[in-house]
Amino acid sequence: MKKNQEVFEEIVQRFVELKNTSELMIDLAYSSLMLNSAELAEEVQHLEEHMDELHTEFELLALTSNFKKEEASGFLGLIRLGVATEKIADAAAEMAEVVLRGIEPHPVLKIAIREAEETVTQAYVTNNSPLVDKTLKEARVHEDTGMWILAIRRNNKSLRPKPYTKILPGDVIIASGYSEGASDLRKLASPEKME
Amino acid sequence: MRQLEKIEYKPIPVSELLLELKNLSELMIDLAYSAALFNDKELAEDVLELESHIDYMTYLLDIEIMIAARDAKDAETLIGVSTVASAADKISDAAADIAAIVTRKIGIHPIIGEIFEKVEERLMKATVKKDSIIIGKEIVELDLAARIGVDIIAIRRNKDWILDPNETEKIFLGDTLITRGAPLGIKEFKNLAEAKIKKWSTKSDEKKSRSV
Repeated sequence: MKKNQEVFEEIVQRFVELKNTSELMIDLAYSSLMLNSAELAEEVQHLEEHMDELHTEFELLALTSNFKKEEASGFLGLIRLGVATEKIADAAAEMAEVVLRGIEPHPVLKIAIREAEETVTQAYVTNNSPLVDKTLKEARVHEDTGMWILAIRRNNKSLRPKPYTKILPGDVIIASGYSEGASDLRKLASPEKME
Repeated sequence: MRQLEKIEYKPIPVSELLLELKNLSELMIDLAYSAALFNDKELAEDVLELESHIDYMTYLLDIEIMIAARDAKDAETLIGVSTVASAADKISDAAADIAAIVTRKIGIHPIIGEIFEKVEERLMKATVKKDSIIIGKEIVELDLAARIGVDIIAIRRNKDWILDPNETEKIFLGDTLITRGAPLGIKEFKNLAEAKIKKWSTKSDEKKSRSV
């Protein structure tokens, strides 16, 4: 029984990774449209490839978990959940392709994304920001503003956020969350600049 | 052959349709996962209904886009809008697929749901218990998004689900709430709803004055 529990835990961990990656991709895809950023769009494409690998691993794990006959239906449900995450990831990749075509996205897209309940935003980090020289773990941006950091743009490169990534002046933080948090984040990143 | 409903053209601004498509498709994903993992048939059926509403909006949007194109250059940028709308539609299809796991009685292994609740950080289900400080409050008064980065996406009351509840909706004893948002925030909110804690860790006006 215990062994079973461990297998289940591993399967769920993998599934949560699929789910989170597909949702990150949607946020990044909307960000790439809003900011007309080819780098972010490319990041979405990379993640799409990564998703394919994760998904295969997840399916193999589910199929080799020695479930009993009466559990087959429950496992089929799980596999279908995985397929759905893949579908979501594909949709995000299609959105990102709009940017990669090299035509400036229609302004109406920007309006819709900015005004949505869950929005994406970018915040420029100035010298006097309390975030400067803190690692993402120390900066506690998510706890303080409710915004998820999706990417950091530095010297025209887009970095994937890691707990030990240090925030430097001049960085542009790209984040998603409720619009209430977006202005909090911008004030935190560039304190003197009011919206 | 399946008869599809005839869609009547209505001039709704494209930006409004897109906004609604984005909001609704994202809401549907969260509702669908909740339905699957909490094994809730009614919620799953509601997701399927939302899906047909999305189809309707995507269709309207395509009509508008075609009307709006005046030349090749216009058409090219509008294809981008159509692609994004169709991607949102695909996301809602995926949500419907998830809901169908429940409505077709395939189900998800019960242990999976249990473990999922422990590891998933963005979705949470909570039942409002006696003495909770949120009882009788309107959602707008709770100021959840600004205070703790949380949003109530569905309320179950007397066997019915209220999806994406209005700001003026009141919270009652016995309500089951599905929330999404910041991990720490949803944990705090669950504790408040279940009356395990009786005080907010942050006051909403304090937070506002700090950020000004």
